[in-house]
Amino acid sequence: MTKLALVRSSPNVIDGAAATADLELKCDVCIIGTGAGGAVTAAVLAEAGFDVVMIEEGGYYTSNDFTMRERDVTARLYQEGGTRATKDLGISILQGKAVGGTTVVNWTTSFRTPEDVVQHWHDKHAVKGFAYADLAPHYDAIEKRLSIAKVAEASMNANNRKLFEGCKALGWEADTLRRNVSACLQTGFCGLGCPVNAKRSMLVTMIPDAIDANARLVFRVRADRFETKGNAITTLHGTLLDAEGMTPTGKKLTVTAKRFVASCGAINSPALLLRSGIEDGGVGTRTFLHPVVGSAAIYEDEINPFSGAPQSAASHHFAHRDADVGFFMEAAPWYPSLSAGAVPGFGADHLAFVKQMKHTALHLALAVDGFHDDVPGGRVTLRPSGMPLLDYPITPRLWNMFRFAQKRLAEMQLASGAKEIFTLHDPPTRITAKADIDRLVDAAPYDVGRVPVYTAHQMGGCAMGDDAARAVVRSEDLRHHRIENLHVIDGSVFPTSLGVNPQESIYGLARLMATRLAARKS
Amino acid sequence: MNRRTFLKRGLIGGGILVLGGGTLAVLPTKELATPSKALVVLSPRSFQVLVAVARRVVPDTADAGAVAQGVDALLERAAPEARADFDKLLGLFENALPGLIFDGRILPFTRLSGASQDAVLRSWRDSRIAIRRNGYHAMRRLCLAVAYADEATWPALGYSPPSGLNAIAYDDSKVGAS
Repeated sequence: MTKLALVRSSPNVIDGAAATADLELKCDVCIIGTGAGGAVTAAVLAEAGFDVVMIEEGGYYTSNDFTMRERDVTARLYQEGGTRATKDLGISILQGKAVGGTTVVNWTTSFRTPEDVVQHWHDKHAVKGFAYADLAPHYDAIEKRLSIAKVAEASMNANNRKLFEGCKALGWEADTLRRNVSACLQTGFCGLGCPVNAKRSMLVTMIPDAIDANARLVFRVRADRFETKGNAITTLHGTLLDAEGMTPTGKKLTVTAKRFVASCGAINSPALLLRSGIEDGGVGTRTFLHPVVGSAAIYEDEINPFSGAPQSAASHHFAHRDADVGFFMEAAPWYPSLSAGAVPGFGADHLAFVKQMKHTALHLALAVDGFHDDVPGGRVTLRPSGMPLLDYPITPRLWNMFRFAQKRLAEMQLASGAKEIFTLHDPPTRITAKADIDRLVDAAPYDVGRVPVYTAHQMGGCAMGDDAARAVVRSEDLRHHRIENLHVIDGSVFPTSLGVNPQESIYGLARLMATRLAARKS
Repeated sequence: MNRRTFLKRGLIGGGILVLGGGTLAVLPTKELATPSKALVVLSPRSFQVLVAVARRVVPDTADAGAVAQGVDALLERAAPEARADFDKLLGLFENALPGLIFDGRILPFTRLSGASQDAVLRSWRDSRIAIRRNGYHAMRRLCLAVAYADEATWPALGYSPPSGLNAIAYDDSKVGAS
């Protein structure tokens, strides 16, 4: 047992905001990013005896900070204060920023990478360095460490139950989900940081494991760029930030290491490489998002969509649609600030809508992008300031999927007893009868700025694969094809999206690759 | 037309108007609220425009000045380029000349009646130009996100989250691990 309260105050944990001088560190392995990829890698390597330094831009927030109030936490725990969006503002991007990364704010849904996806990578993207069988024992280990277990049907909240029952009524596949929680109190606030540490995020598991094994962590420091010499990185250069993690303090960080691991996540890992002049293999391209459209349904009975586990059921009935883009259905919690922007309209119209919140369920269709030539994902480039900018054009095939999915969401909601359905168009399309679904949704506009699109799953941008011309890192060890001491271990290495929520896929892959790296020490 | 081109054209239009000394140019932005602390991202003029937008977008229980101040604070975390674009957007939204061209209005947004302001918001919402639609949503969403983070708006929703649960948080990194 490790007391979490002691981890934060360990001498191995350094607050960049408090540093009174430049920091110069030396280690075996420098890992940039402490989310699903970085934390697992750090724990495995530190426990194997490597001298590990973790670098994190966000703050080290703990359960004491997780007040279940959006005003207190959202701006601090999400990239760009929760305002990150694609270049044309067509897709709002929810991505974590803190010690623990997105695992601090995700909704706990845990899936192994589907076997057919791993096989697709092998067949189409030259990912020959591992097979599903290599990943399986690492999923087993992670599932034990993070208490990943299937949700009992009885514990679904009303929001998820409507999804589950609606799908079943239509004869569609639906199942309860697996979650990384232990003795969950079902507060419903996973997205704002778990107030009771029931969520087994990286913050309360693998990062303490790494610190226990003598790893060091420097937080509130922005990784600016790698300095390279020939085909090797010599130094990481960073900027220390103030207590809000925004403004440079004027102090600098330099880390020299034998190996560097970029684990900043999709969008941010490609940006770090681009800032370092490392562009080969298509850095930034093929960034995938599982883009989401939503449907709000009003029920006679109370839903209270802010209460209970945010996600406990899903349907993958439409995940495989051959020539058409597949999608899967999940529920989403409603926190007032997050939801108010998603709800259409303004003034009295908007208020009338949100006043029905207690009776409203929000269900999502998440696109499985990256498996069709004309759904190639987005591209990360750099803004003049050096911050990343993702250009993700929504192609006609994807818009067609959104329209098809909107109809299926409406069918499912009506089948589960909804009395009225609102699409999130502004103004919304209102549906009350199954017979009207096709006509009304076909008449609705699907275009940027007509209907909101979101993403909470960012993948790709530093694709793995054994063809150096179209992949950034090798698949056997996620080492850069050219830079001999650079690895990328996070969700950015996926050559496509996953078709499932990504956290466990990242954990499993990171554990496999870190274990292989650790074995080389001997 | 991309976002930067649109913003540039609108601002150039405004510039021509000012240089020409036209009637529309002498109508300044109406001062609606005083910032409670120094603005970080928004210009003083943009702050007033955002207060006017907030008054139409958010519920009566929200303080429009506080909402605009909250948006200013939130935008401090955005990319510098996004901050600058948003400030320009508000300038364009207020500007009478683009307003005349696109919406047939001769007054800055801050000087319109409430009903006319709603009509302008709907015009941007329904525009054939994607940048105008996105501009509408950017203003709307930021105002709503800040307003509904304020507990004063929650009674209308029947929303009353628990508090103080962190006092019973597990303090064991290995809890539940098998």
